[in-house]
Amino acid sequence: MAAKSLAPADGLVWKIVKKAGDTVKQGEEIVILESMKMEIPVTAEIDGTITKLLVEEGQAVEEDDTIAEVG
Amino acid sequence: MTNDKPAIPPEWQEKLDQFEWRRARARELGGARRIRRAHDRGQLTIRERLAKATTSFHEIGEFATYDDVDALGNLRSQMPASYVMGLGTFAGRHVAIGGEDFTVRAGAPQTYLDRMKGGLGGFVEDLAHEYRIPLVMFMEGIGGDIAASGEKGHSYLVSSLSWGRSYELLGEVPVLAMVSGSSAGGTAGRTVLSHFSVMTKDSVFFAGGPPLVERALGKSVDKFELGGAAVATRSGAIDNLAEDEDDAIGQMARFLSYLPQNVWQMPPRTPSDDPVDRPIDEILGRIPTSNRRPYKATDIITPIVDVDSFFEIGKYWGKAVTTGLARMDGIPVGIVASNPMHLGGAMDAQAAEKQIRFVDMCSTFHLPIVYFADVPGFMVGPDAERANVVRWGMRAIQSLIEAEVPVVTIQVRKAYGMAVSATSDPDGLSLRIAWPTAEWGDLPVEGGVEAGFARDIEESADPEAYRAAINENFKNIADPWRTVEAFGVEAMIDPRETRVMVADFLNASLHRVHTDLGPQRRQWRIRP
Repeated sequence: MAAKSLAPADGLVWKIVKKAGDTVKQGEEIVILESMKMEIPVTAEIDGTITKLLVEEGQAVEEDDTIAEVG
Repeated sequence: MTNDKPAIPPEWQEKLDQFEWRRARARELGGARRIRRAHDRGQLTIRERLAKATTSFHEIGEFATYDDVDALGNLRSQMPASYVMGLGTFAGRHVAIGGEDFTVRAGAPQTYLDRMKGGLGGFVEDLAHEYRIPLVMFMEGIGGDIAASGEKGHSYLVSSLSWGRSYELLGEVPVLAMVSGSSAGGTAGRTVLSHFSVMTKDSVFFAGGPPLVERALGKSVDKFELGGAAVATRSGAIDNLAEDEDDAIGQMARFLSYLPQNVWQMPPRTPSDDPVDRPIDEILGRIPTSNRRPYKATDIITPIVDVDSFFEIGKYWGKAVTTGLARMDGIPVGIVASNPMHLGGAMDAQAAEKQIRFVDMCSTFHLPIVYFADVPGFMVGPDAERANVVRWGMRAIQSLIEAEVPVVTIQVRKAYGMAVSATSDPDGLSLRIAWPTAEWGDLPVEGGVEAGFARDIEESADPEAYRAAINENFKNIADPWRTVEAFGVEAMIDPRETRVMVADFLNASLHRVHTDLGPQRRQWRIRP
């Protein structure tokens, strides 16, 4: 079962912490967004491997956009 | 022993037959075909909604009918009135309750049966007003329609219908509205004259539907794109979103559970089995000490209030503040919290509007307010200015000054700029309890130094070193402990002490609340 990690708020992709193929634990940061000088983490919903990473640094994203998928 | 009922006297039989025949007619609503269509859409009829929502219901106006005429004015038949209402028991409490019947001319009001004063809808509002009981409305209708002028034989000015009672009720009793299906025009207008509104996710809500938009603007729009739940709950027209009608009815019952029957009564305190001294050590893990790391407002609210007592209102709009009802030691309270997850918690026009609506409601029904503040200021930038952030922000300050309820503020982290005045009652006790993560000032040191000393920095021999020295100086001054020592903030506590301390202050504040019952007296007659 793949689990999508969604953007919790509008913002810019500030830092890609993990890449596709990396293994992650639930709650671990995959990407950090930046908005209003706040660093907003996008985290893994489940333990697994990142099957898709759908953003790159500098990209603008909106709340609830899918940032990554973990399977 | 026999179960036979006593014989009905013959002179009564005819009267009772007519009574039963008429009752059966009223129960038919707009006819089997239209009822089936509603069921096919997954919707209940108004009578089914009322049966589901209430444990007792005494209908008023059951036999009211209107003459159904065709487009040229020829009588087709008599139809039941398109509004069903009466005295009900909802969530264990007496309420005035009613709603449009969409199966009868799409819920449009008919001549002489208008929803306003003197009509059926008007009676249900009078019942709420005269008995001082909540009003619960099921909204599903198209508002006015042209057929009404056909029945009257002349067109009419909508202003001839009074809205007065609808506005008056907002200051007297809880008013709740549920939208399932379409709520348009006058029905939509009546929906927003409520303290709490909820719509099912498949419903639509608008001033005018797609045909009107097409004629007025030449634009063809899908009805969900125009006024679906995603639009109406993000604009703030509707407070909450529901999965289905059961969920919507449940949310109305939950909302009402925190409120009194009317403004002359205390909000209902319930016995709490959640001790106020319950350890809340998890709170430390939920507040990042780095002020660049956000958190969800709900994550810090839920450990502090009574377990499972937080009911969020307006989740999808004005998201820089989170609002909702909760209990502390069983006392119903209003919760407002900056939400750093959205705009870093900066108050934009929509967040200010949402806060005003919520604070006004809390003040009207005597619910003390607990405010979790973490606000970097009013939102700045072109979008914020175009949305008139300054006026809305100043109105938010005014609503808190005018609130006639105790306000306890927890200073979580940031408190910068004018927006801070919209996080407490600055002219009242202004009790602000800070956590050690708190920081405050006119402006944050980083930007503030740049703005205040640009010329000094530019003209110095070593601008970088001079800037660093000024920053260091002001960071020392901005150390929140200096403000605490100067009694510039009322208290500083370990966050884990918050629940027990706030509960005690709220308990003490009820002495004041008890003596402040009745309609709210507005301090000023106008908002800027």
